[in-house]
Amino acid sequence: MGVQKDRVRFNVGGRVFETTATTLANAGRNSLFGAMFDENWDLQSNAGTTTTEHFIDRNPDCFAVLLDLLRTGELYIPSNVPEKLLYREALFYGLLDHVRAAKWGPFDGNMLLLARSIRGLAPGDGTAIRASPDGGCCVAHGSMVHIYDWMLEEHHPISLDYQRVNDAVWVNLENIVISACERLGRDEGGIGLFSSLTGELRYKFRVSHENQVKSYTGGALSFNSDYKLFSSCKGRSNEYGIGVWDQVTGKQVDFFYEPAGWSLGEADKLQWLHGTNCLLVATLFPRKDNCYISLLDFRDKSMVWLWSDIGAPLTDERRVRDAIAMEETHSVCVVNEYEDLGFMDLRRSVGSVRWSSRSRLMKGKMVDEPCYPKLALHEGQLFSSMNDSISVFSGPDWVLTSRLRNSYGGSICDFSIGGDRLFSLHSEENVFNVWETRPSPVM
Amino acid sequence: MSSGPKKRNFQIEAFKHKVVVDPKYADKTWRILEHAIHEIYNHNASGLSFEELYRNAYNMVLHKFGEKLYSGLVSTMTFHLHTMSKSIEAAHGASFLEELNMKWNDHTKALQMIRDILMYMDRTFIPSTHKTAVHELGLNLWRDYVIHSSKIQPRLLNTLLDLILRERTGEVINRGLMRNIIKMLMDLGPSVYQEDFEKPFLEVSAEFYRAESLEFIECSDCGDYLKKAERRLNEEIERVSHYLDAKTEVKITNVVEKEMIANHMPRLVHMENSGLVKMLLDDKFEDLGRIYNLFRRVADGLSTIRDVMTSHIRDTGKQLVTDPEKSKNPVEFVDTLLDKRDKYDRIISLAFSNDKTFQNALNASFEYFINLNPRSPEYISLFVDDKLRKGLKGEKEEDIEIILDKVMMLFRYLQEKDVFEKYYKQHLAKRLLSGKTVSDDAERSLIIKLKTECGYQFTSKLEGMFTDMKTSQDTMQGFYAAHAAELGNGPTLVVQVLTTGSWPTQSSITCNLPAELSALCEKFRSYYLGTHTGRRLSWQTNMGTADLRATFANGQKYELNVSTYQMCVLMLFNDTDSLNYREIEQATEIPSSDLKRCLQSLACVKGKNVLQKEPMSKDIGEDDAFSVNDKFTSKLRKVKIGTVVAQKETEPEKQETRQRVEEDRKPQIEAAIVRIMKSRRVLDHNNIIAEVTKQLQSRFLANPGEIKKRIESLIERDFLERDDSDRRLYRYLA
Repeated sequence: MGVQKDRVRFNVGGRVFETTATTLANAGRNSLFGAMFDENWDLQSNAGTTTTEHFIDRNPDCFAVLLDLLRTGELYIPSNVPEKLLYREALFYGLLDHVRAAKWGPFDGNMLLLARSIRGLAPGDGTAIRASPDGGCCVAHGSMVHIYDWMLEEHHPISLDYQRVNDAVWVNLENIVISACERLGRDEGGIGLFSSLTGELRYKFRVSHENQVKSYTGGALSFNSDYKLFSSCKGRSNEYGIGVWDQVTGKQVDFFYEPAGWSLGEADKLQWLHGTNCLLVATLFPRKDNCYISLLDFRDKSMVWLWSDIGAPLTDERRVRDAIAMEETHSVCVVNEYEDLGFMDLRRSVGSVRWSSRSRLMKGKMVDEPCYPKLALHEGQLFSSMNDSISVFSGPDWVLTSRLRNSYGGSICDFSIGGDRLFSLHSEENVFNVWETRPSPVM
Repeated sequence: MSSGPKKRNFQIEAFKHKVVVDPKYADKTWRILEHAIHEIYNHNASGLSFEELYRNAYNMVLHKFGEKLYSGLVSTMTFHLHTMSKSIEAAHGASFLEELNMKWNDHTKALQMIRDILMYMDRTFIPSTHKTAVHELGLNLWRDYVIHSSKIQPRLLNTLLDLILRERTGEVINRGLMRNIIKMLMDLGPSVYQEDFEKPFLEVSAEFYRAESLEFIECSDCGDYLKKAERRLNEEIERVSHYLDAKTEVKITNVVEKEMIANHMPRLVHMENSGLVKMLLDDKFEDLGRIYNLFRRVADGLSTIRDVMTSHIRDTGKQLVTDPEKSKNPVEFVDTLLDKRDKYDRIISLAFSNDKTFQNALNASFEYFINLNPRSPEYISLFVDDKLRKGLKGEKEEDIEIILDKVMMLFRYLQEKDVFEKYYKQHLAKRLLSGKTVSDDAERSLIIKLKTECGYQFTSKLEGMFTDMKTSQDTMQGFYAAHAAELGNGPTLVVQVLTTGSWPTQSSITCNLPAELSALCEKFRSYYLGTHTGRRLSWQTNMGTADLRATFANGQKYELNVSTYQMCVLMLFNDTDSLNYREIEQATEIPSSDLKRCLQSLACVKGKNVLQKEPMSKDIGEDDAFSVNDKFTSKLRKVKIGTVVAQKETEPEKQETRQRVEEDRKPQIEAAIVRIMKSRRVLDHNNIIAEVTKQLQSRFLANPGEIKKRIESLIERDFLERDDSDRRLYRYLA
């Protein structure tokens, strides 16, 4: 025998390829090949006879790469094939998802390689960078939010009519929520849901107090798996607190007013904790003179945990610059200006910081224009940015295991992890870097 | 050329050779695709080149003709759906559904192929313009132009409902076709299925079952009606599993339950000659199981059954315990109770799936009526006595356990457990002393059961009785071992030493024992007091027994088994032939009531009259004379002469027991009050009553009047005081 029954012959742009229906089946039903060999189209019956040749009027070089991808599951792009061309061809065949999945591996903070540096158009400081679920990102700059897909192609930017953007979150692949400053005298600002594909505004999230719609400044954002959106809100007249909306309907469902002597309405960071169903709210120096970190339980409108440095001796080493809750270890991690990490136990109702002074060496070596450190957590790895590098801490004792550094672009003002990629936004040049996990070795 | 400002002003011209797109390109391409869509709908797709069509669709989107492609698709598809709709409308009668199903299959197949061609548009153009994806678009158009067409929508609904009605009336319908059509409605979205089918279906079903239930209930009895209802319910569940959405099951069963059961509950339960009471009376397990399973489905269903069952058990139970005929024989009385409980236990386990709430109702009902008869504790104890005395001889160990377990069940219902204890003690004492306990194990097993039920205190005295029996045996062995030589051939004495307090002894006067015995007794007394210091022995001659060997005048020898009193009387006749009542009384000093009974059993019982009396009468007179009956004969060598005793207590005895019980309760109530007050310090009257009642519940139901009296008594004795400002408050005085 030896003759494979399912042999298929293609003529792509003049080059003949032979493969098997089995290989093509890897493309899935929602692809050109899936449809082509569906029984409806009746092409498979004569697939066995090698005499029939299916002609496809496309680029043969790209076809070769994609066919190899279907055969091996790995993507190898020869230098003579521009990536963009390959993406276009993959889109034609309906194989773009396959390409994306094969392009970079599952995220591991200790295996990262700098994949690309992207230069933006606008000069000056960026506000925030946020990774999208599929490996794209958005960069907030002043009143603009630039959107990049996973191919790092820039899409239609979102312009907020010269209001400053404060924060942005990807609700899903198609939608981004952006919070912006209020503008005096106009009913503008607040929070809006935008399409990431077209950049258009879908709807706005309104805040009303005593049945009156009020204008406000939207601050830090977060959302939970229950389709609720949370935002720090600063109203015109003492309406400070955390607003809660239903993402699906856009209706306001709750508002947690800021208690006297505390800060919620101008928070730097919100983080939803899935395990305890609470929201971490952190307001930090220099937005306020003091730092306030608390955990809110919306079910009974209570602050279940809180910490503040009011009254504590304010040396620079004790200034908290960012905070992140780590649910697995029931703790909150904070960082100071010198990238010293501190930990607080969430199981005690009032927190106190246990500093681990690891990097005293940094003192006195500060660059001229420092950016404040930022923290991120991803699958048991803790990331902390400092000047132009990002430190990766792993294991139960948070040992420094890697440091990501790229001399170009200056200090890192923000970074974000998502879609198995890490994005860092640099302050001096308008550039952001994309880090991906190295491909695994052949053997 | 000199350099000037103009010279710098050069421009790079735009690349003029623009790729001229054929202005008719879009139209041409669309016509190819349109033609292909037509061919697909006409089952003519085999001639089409998929690659070409895919490329054309791709090019149209690429060259910004996506909008044209999309709107073209909508209108072409709409055109075909109109045609399909016409042909479905034209279908006659039964072929309507088949035609609809066929066209639906055609449409879904075509839709799939169209989507294949337009895959690129689906992926790129549609998300960025927020349009409906091809597949969903095809379903929406089918819904709007076919399913919701004015000529099809009502007809479809009526056809479906008609088919279901026909199936309900016994016809066989094409379930496969039904399933396909319903599946189509479900594919079009939950709202289509619900609005176009489910809602009207539920309404029509409700009407159908309303009418049917009225018809059924007029012409069938309860059991038959329920059978029909159950069958209908199963039919509907089966229907859902065959061709409806699984979510409909709850809804349609709710309709059947409401119309066939909930609306007729009282009428069904109280149906004459076939309702629930009749089922209970006749042990119709199957019917009862059915009524339980059906009524369980509706709100208040089970409570309706439970209430009827409870009142039935209470009524019949009340009749039973207050029936004077039944009360005559305590064993039979308890047997009837046990049978009744077994009956309902069986009903609950077989028909009511061991429902806890039913078991509770059963227990509550028994508790209610058993305590209606104040003699229940006595009867239950007598029943146990009967079983442990002789009844168990032929029964196996396991059977004893089962019977004892059942008795414990009844015991649990008793409110006056201390009364039971009183009687049980009496009966146990009799059994032990007369050696009539058949099984020590059975006795102990019951004691253990009582202990687990009521605690150590309840049984400590009962256990003491067993210990006494054991030590007495040892004592007797020791006595005979010590005096073996001197006792020789004299009468054998068996003494049971009873601890005062553990046994229900009455202080009675010791009678005069015959000389042979009293000497022996003295010996024992000195032996016993010699081995145990600081004790006092007194003889309970009213409780002993004796075996006598008697030789009558005609030479006949018999062994007589008699009580100690009877022995004393008979021994008198060793010396003389005839004695009168007074002489006997004087000689023996037996209390007159006991003596009368004793003489009665010796002289008046036929077949056992070892004495004869002058005059011959049933009752014993003070002047009667007695002599040995020389004509006494018996078939047996051993003759047991019983004492004439009423098994049941006589009225005065009953009063006395009652009084003793009341007397015993007083310290218990007082102890409870003190315990409570000691921990609470201050408490008002109602709360004391409540707590005391609760504490004593396991033993008896304390009477509030009695508790009040006890409180008064404690106040008098300075255990408690009334609060000065609030007279209802009591204070504990340490």
